[in-house]
Amino acid sequence: MRRLLFLALLLLATPVSAEQLVSGISQDLIQITSNYTGSDIVVFGAVEGDQNPDNRTPRDVVVVVRGPDTSINVRRRDRLAGVWVNRDAANLSGMPSYYFLASTRPLKNIAPPDALTHYNIGLQNLQPDTVHSHHDYEPFRQAALRHLVQERLYTETPGGVEFLSETLFRAHVPVPAEVTRGQYNVEVYLFRDGVVESAQSTPLFIDQTGLERRLFNFAHNQPFGYGLTAVLIAVIMGWISSLLFRRPT
Amino acid sequence: MEIYLPIAEMSVHWIVILGMGLGVGFLSGLFGVGGGFLLTPLLVFYGIPSGVAVATTLSHITASSISGAIAQWKKRAIDFKMAGVMMLGGFGGTGVGVWLFAIMRRAGQMDLVVSLTYVPMLGIIGGIMLNESLKTLRAQAQGNAPARIHPVNHVWIHGLPLKARFRQSRLYISVIPPLVIGFVVGAMSAIMGVGGGFIIVPAMIYLLRMPTNVVIGTSLVQIIGIAIATTLLQATSNYAVDIVLATILVAGGVVGAQFGVRAGAKLRGEQIRLLLALLVLGVALRLLWGLVVTPSDVYSIAGS
Repeated sequence: MRRLLFLALLLLATPVSAEQLVSGISQDLIQITSNYTGSDIVVFGAVEGDQNPDNRTPRDVVVVVRGPDTSINVRRRDRLAGVWVNRDAANLSGMPSYYFLASTRPLKNIAPPDALTHYNIGLQNLQPDTVHSHHDYEPFRQAALRHLVQERLYTETPGGVEFLSETLFRAHVPVPAEVTRGQYNVEVYLFRDGVVESAQSTPLFIDQTGLERRLFNFAHNQPFGYGLTAVLIAVIMGWISSLLFRRPT
Repeated sequence: MEIYLPIAEMSVHWIVILGMGLGVGFLSGLFGVGGGFLLTPLLVFYGIPSGVAVATTLSHITASSISGAIAQWKKRAIDFKMAGVMMLGGFGGTGVGVWLFAIMRRAGQMDLVVSLTYVPMLGIIGGIMLNESLKTLRAQAQGNAPARIHPVNHVWIHGLPLKARFRQSRLYISVIPPLVIGFVVGAMSAIMGVGGGFIIVPAMIYLLRMPTNVVIGTSLVQIIGIAIATTLLQATSNYAVDIVLATILVAGGVVGAQFGVRAGAKLRGEQIRLLLALLVLGVALRLLWGLVVTPSDVYSIAGS
């Protein structure tokens, strides 16, 4: 919510005379079905207006896709009497469950670090809303980033946004199979001279559908009946197999 | 071929899952163990969230145990009275286990507690079984009569009250030891997603002195009861049972169990015990390794 507000303010604050960003996504709803193995969406757009040929300072496009917020428990193991034991822990809440960033060039070439921090753009600028920890949480945050990058839930790909012409750009966003369901936000930023000139945000929904949805609802709405069904399936299959495999003796 | 799991919220290769079910089902039919102590770590290793793995493995245990139990029942190799007494203790243990589960999870010490209790327990059980079965096998190789298992006479067990006659097992003992064994195993099953057969089988053989031929069938019946109770508990309190995953595992498991029972019929009791001992020791070593070896990353994360 806080981020949406920030984005809205940013949109209001962009100067009217400048270039305008128009963008869209190939799909605004991803449905998870039984053969879902991850998918790929395309974020595309154009930079409109202000075609003054003298105005040729480099411009950059950054595409950010954020998944629903989640809280992450990070634990650190220490050696205690020869055995590795979980000792210190930190709970980081308000971190995105999925984070994808693509840009025309490496971020450090697009804007100075403090500007990126200000706009909250880039993996290194992902900060939790609240932290429960008795220690400096920075190493825990770094560990969380490292793990999520490894699981390909967090990605940063410089060069992931390509300009097809003077004005048209495109980026591929891979959505892995292990994503959380819920509302995602696709944010597109137009940078010129290290400042955001225009920005746009589009929601993207990821949800289960069909049998998967019904099973999920069943499990949560009638847990006892669901558990009983699981038990019955197991009992019946066990029984049938012993009939099928009956020895002729 | 991939299939999406609605509760685990991830997609898996169903052939891999079927293969895991098949392999673990075979072992469970062969040894009369549920196989949870192998399947849960396998699933976690494959990337299934550990809560879902623990809860869903119980379905696999139920099915392959039923399949195995029916085969044993035809051989009249089940002591239902003994299984019933142990199950009673088991239900109590399940309740306590779920409560402990929550406490340890909150403290983040789940894995440690599991490993620290598993390693000595499996090490001792595996060691005793290995030693005994090797001794028997060696005696047979020398042409001697098979060495009888000489119990360390458990005088205190015979001194306990509430004695009952277990006809199938040809025993007249107090119901307290089977109740206690059932309780301990029930607690473990809730905490670790294991049926506990690898504890019950040795406990029946070496503690209760039940004849080996009724041990497997009886432990299977007791495991079925505990696994069903725990599945229901996990489904209602944690929403962690994935029915799609369970169905694939079960399909592999029940077929594997049939072959396991058949293979078991060709082996002698001490051979089965030798193999089970090696398996138990292997798991213990694997867990010990995880405890002492320096992790590649001392940080670990878990969503919540």
